[in-house]
Amino acid sequence: MNGVNIIEIRGVTKDYTLGKVKVPALRGIDLDIVKGDLVTIMGPSGSGKTTLLNIIGCIDLPTLGNVKVSGRELTLLNDREITNLRLHHLGFIFQTFNLIPVLTSVENVEFPLLLQKSLSRKEIRKRAESLLDEVGLAQYGHHRPAELSGGQRQRVAIARALVTHPDIVLADEPTANLDSATGASILELMKAMNAKEQTTFVFSTHDKNVLKYAKTVVQIVDGRIVAGA
Amino acid sequence: MGFILKIAWRNLFRHRGQSLVIGTILFLGALLMTIGNGVITGMDRGLRNTVVNGFTGDLIIIPDKQEGDNVFLQMMGRAVQPLYGFHAVDSVLKGAPSVERWLPMGKNMAMVLNEDDGMPSFIYLLGVDFERYARMFPGALALKEGRLPRPGKPGLMLPMGARKEIHDHNNAWYVPAAGSGASADARVPVDVHDVPVWPGRAAVASSGAGGSPVPAKADSVPKDASVKSSMVMLGFNQDNSTTDIRLEVDGIFRYRALNTIFGNFALVDIESYRQCLGYFQASERTQGKISGRDSALFTLGEESLDAQFGADAPLVPGASAAPKAVTSAIPGAGSPVGPAAIPAETASASPAVDLDQGAYNLVVVLLKPGADAARAQADLNARFKTAKLGMRAVGWKDSLGPVGSMATLIKGALFLFVSFLFVVAVIIIINTLTMAALERTPELGMMRAIGARKGFVSLMFLTETALLTLCFGGLGILAGAAVVEAVSWFKITSDNDVLQLFFGGDTFRPALSAGDYLLALTQLALVALAAVIYPLRMARRVTPLDAVYKE
Repeated sequence: MNGVNIIEIRGVTKDYTLGKVKVPALRGIDLDIVKGDLVTIMGPSGSGKTTLLNIIGCIDLPTLGNVKVSGRELTLLNDREITNLRLHHLGFIFQTFNLIPVLTSVENVEFPLLLQKSLSRKEIRKRAESLLDEVGLAQYGHHRPAELSGGQRQRVAIARALVTHPDIVLADEPTANLDSATGASILELMKAMNAKEQTTFVFSTHDKNVLKYAKTVVQIVDGRIVAGA
Repeated sequence: MGFILKIAWRNLFRHRGQSLVIGTILFLGALLMTIGNGVITGMDRGLRNTVVNGFTGDLIIIPDKQEGDNVFLQMMGRAVQPLYGFHAVDSVLKGAPSVERWLPMGKNMAMVLNEDDGMPSFIYLLGVDFERYARMFPGALALKEGRLPRPGKPGLMLPMGARKEIHDHNNAWYVPAAGSGASADARVPVDVHDVPVWPGRAAVASSGAGGSPVPAKADSVPKDASVKSSMVMLGFNQDNSTTDIRLEVDGIFRYRALNTIFGNFALVDIESYRQCLGYFQASERTQGKISGRDSALFTLGEESLDAQFGADAPLVPGASAAPKAVTSAIPGAGSPVGPAAIPAETASASPAVDLDQGAYNLVVVLLKPGADAARAQADLNARFKTAKLGMRAVGWKDSLGPVGSMATLIKGALFLFVSFLFVVAVIIIINTLTMAALERTPELGMMRAIGARKGFVSLMFLTETALLTLCFGGLGILAGAAVVEAVSWFKITSDNDVLQLFFGGDTFRPALSAGDYLLALTQLALVALAAVIYPLRMARRVTPLDAVYKE
């Protein structure tokens, strides 16, 4: 795929220390992801896909190597700058949905915009409601997460990830806790959003059934990319 | 901020158990804290009411050369230096804006001689003009037997405490003299609140008596006691001589509060007091019996008293002893002291005598309501210095020595108790909030992952703690105020002096001022702040990675 690289990863290694033992999670990753791509990082459990996703999402830093996200070199940023990068350029979808339990669906979607403080309350509410409508939850705006099913919660999480119009949305096994039908509908939704908004989606999975939704598949085994880089 | 408040408020309901634990601690802490503050304020007010408004005043003016500030309760009754030239002090006090009223008085110790050849005992004397004393400290005394002294006449008011003390020493039991209403048979209950203050001179002139007499209870006289109605007192003079005077007992009274402590202070008319202590009497000056050199002692303000009157110079020259009753040198030589040698009635001040022309020992000063005592003290001292009077003003607590310190100690103990509660509350709240922070790690990590800064997490935690503090702590303060009000309403009384010191008087009346509410809120805020610091640091340390790995 030709286009502008939104993510550039060069020679990234990541080691974890368990007591006195050093455990390598990534062993020299080189990867470019272009804007508007829908990338699936495939691999068995413990292969390093979540670690790679965390590094791309500025949640974790590499032990060695360079990572450039939306044109910014992560290793040169301080905590405040990294937080701002996550707020303005990245969207997250977690495996266990991770919504704020005390907020309603619409308030959860509003949350990143309220942190950005760039829009009026009225505009924020309008955009959040619009996103909820797009993910098919217009009538669930005032429900709290506990009152929603797993699929509905993940849809709210998708709406929350997209509400700031981020460059990249990262999803760590977004269908792992969903039944196959609901999982499929979530992946369809992400594909549709990718097509509509040209937002780059990167998600990790070990489920081969999701491959048909991806434009690019990166296969990772034992901390090394074995295909798709 | 609005949505932080929303999240914080809803979180309190979501974590009801934790909120209730912390809330209960805050409630109890605020409740006890408010009650503690109420007790301290009530004690302060009570002490002011009973001690300041009933015994010492806010400030006490004493001669500069007086050693130490404790002039009322010195160990072994160290002599209080004479204060001459009250008129000059009077002028300074009249010019001081924060001073409301004042009273000059004599204060020293005298020996009570035993006419039955037994051991003598001692008594503190306050030499006062009775009328002025009553105006200065209205309602401070409760007459139990006899009557109040006749204005302008020699008189002795004996406190119940001193009477008992003397009886314990030498078996003498003093009762009011005949004609002052004492009656061994009478069993009339005494309602001390009905006893009038000293009437004015006009009233005395028409009735010839100092108010209605209060009869003594027959059963109040100890069995086998040697009952007496006049007291022979021996004063130690500055020139190492002694003077004996005999005074009829006008009345037996008790101080309304702290009677065991103040109950050793008998009230004597000022001229008799001066005579007993060998001081210049006002009547001597009026009758021109004081020489020109001695008379200069009273002319203060024109030059320093100290300059005229060095520490080693005799305070009372022997030449001026003529009008005194009986004088004997110490130790023991001279005329034996006995009833025959003592005049039946000592000097009596004629109405024309200006009592302020004689010597005093101190001046007690009451300040206007709301006046700052420390500032007023500094102001008075500056004025005395400018006028070169050789006087100084001391605070009432300093003038009482150990009793003043004990009040401060009790306040300190209460403060320590409240502080201890703080520490316990802070520890429990820290523990609970830390647990809450740990439990919420995934939620906080997720917030951080989607762009919440550490400041947001801090603000959210602080808001939750502030809401808890305001709701539960506020309720605690209100409940504490209600308890203080209720306890005050019950007017619990005690005759126990330690309790009276704790009460600040004979009645337990805890009270809260606007400052106390502000103090309670500040203390509550400090507790909340101290308790939230550690859990807040824990919460701020949560990273987005914690959200991923604690899922």
